[in-house]
Amino acid sequence: MATFLATYDFLLVSMVLAAALALTLYLPLMAGQLSVASPGFYALGGYTAAILSTKVFHHPAPGLYPVSLVLVEIVVAAVVSGVLGLAVGIPALRLRGIFLALATIAFVQILGVVALNLDVTGGAIGIFGIPQPFSSQMQYMWLAIPLLVVSMLFVARLEPTRAGRALVALREDELAAAAMGVNPTYHKVLAFTASAVLAGAVGAISAHFINTWNSRQGTFDTSVNLMAFVLVGGSRTFVGPVVGGLVLTALPEALRGIAGLGGLPTWFAEFLRDGRLIIFGVLIAVGTIFFPQGLITPALLRRLAGRRRPAAR
Amino acid sequence: MSDLLAVDDVTCSFGGVTAVSAVSFVVTRGELFGLIGPNGAGKTTLFNIVTGLTAPNTGHLRYRGEDITGLPPHRVAERGIARTFQNVRLFGELTALENVMIARHVRTRSGLISGVLGLAGSRREERDTHERAAALLALVGLADRAEERARNFAYGDQRRLEIARALALEPELLLLDEPAAGMNTGEKRALSELIRDVRARLGLTILLIEHHVPLVMDLCDRIAVLNFGQLIALGPPGEVQTHPAVVEAYLGDSV
Repeated sequence: MATFLATYDFLLVSMVLAAALALTLYLPLMAGQLSVASPGFYALGGYTAAILSTKVFHHPAPGLYPVSLVLVEIVVAAVVSGVLGLAVGIPALRLRGIFLALATIAFVQILGVVALNLDVTGGAIGIFGIPQPFSSQMQYMWLAIPLLVVSMLFVARLEPTRAGRALVALREDELAAAAMGVNPTYHKVLAFTASAVLAGAVGAISAHFINTWNSRQGTFDTSVNLMAFVLVGGSRTFVGPVVGGLVLTALPEALRGIAGLGGLPTWFAEFLRDGRLIIFGVLIAVGTIFFPQGLITPALLRRLAGRRRPAAR
Repeated sequence: MSDLLAVDDVTCSFGGVTAVSAVSFVVTRGELFGLIGPNGAGKTTLFNIVTGLTAPNTGHLRYRGEDITGLPPHRVAERGIARTFQNVRLFGELTALENVMIARHVRTRSGLISGVLGLAGSRREERDTHERAAALLALVGLADRAEERARNFAYGDQRRLEIARALALEPELLLLDEPAAGMNTGEKRALSELIRDVRARLGLTILLIEHHVPLVMDLCDRIAVLNFGQLIALGPPGEVQTHPAVVEAYLGDSV
């Protein structure tokens, strides 16, 4: 167990962060809005933490960077992302369906180009040597797990409230929801901003975790990955994106592990090692055809809940 | 001030088609006002204009003396105007209870944060929303099916659920768009009773679009007849029924 944790520490933390990031795509989806803007806010949150920790909070080199300062950075990153989310969301959410998706892709690209050309973000090189608050990578779980748990609780508790029902009503039938008094723009911007806040927080942790931050973080590739998490995991419950994020982040490593087992034909082992992206793509395509609702569906959760109830009696 | 809704010289055209042409009428408080006319006469367009889903080209709408022309749908709903839809627009994936609970939106206040944190005020409001929604389901006779998903309901039940959802807004003016469509004779009779009952109990003013002539004649205090977007007759059922323009345009040989 100890060796396992030591070998896969980077992967395990990445899985948890990916699951939290997948939730940022789920929040606007609750209101029926396909937005892939969260990599942009993730990048922004990362830059915020990177700049604060290397240029603002001067910490003497020996010794660990204080965790309290990381927490401050997370809050600042969340606020900055939230403010930008509000500013972008108000005009962008006038767009519907695929047009919103395209606009948010453009937003991610624009942020990338801006980061590439500013001095404060370190241009093409980015910001490196971001100080470490922990002596091992596994300890990043102290930040990643609480963030994931809090955001899962947030979404779970949101669903059966007035605001959560308004979002779901918009997803089901925007026109009928408006006729029932739900303000569509307000609630879409609310979901979008909440998503930006969470993405910013994940970015801040990731910047420390990865140790360097540049314009290759939070790009369109991340958008595609997040969509895969949500599509494969399931877009109708908050559990789906979390499971999708965990499983699909682990999948390439699992394939590499299988390839390492003896007795496989060389070509097959090589395919598992190097053809990961192909396998990934096929999974997404096959998944959306045969499991259009994803692996975790509301019906599945209901069945699981139903099975537990009689046992408790 | 007994006028609740005044439709004043409203015209609405889509491309070359004038769906509603210079229509004016006044609905008084407490009235059950019928709107009839052949298919394509502009009845539903008029409903969409009143509820803010469609903006009229010219003309004005006054509700309780306030100009509500051009307000977005959710603002119209806030003011106490609720509706059902001709082609039933329930939230299909949600349960009957959730459908009704959503429509408590404008009568409740809790925000995102207080809801998520489960603060006392928010929890109390949630219980109240739940109780009221359950009571409305009981009112339309769907109490025992609260946890079923709306899409699994039979057509007639979906229409009754839509009425319960509209009532959750606590409207003063209720717009019913062909509530009896797809119902059999027994269901239609029960629906008439339900409409009469909620009107008396909740002091509603009702604007009703309906094709089923006996139902309209039986229920309504006054009836407006539209044909090709124009108001061709307006008056009590007996008067409208014998109006020559109506007989020609709509009732034709069937009466």
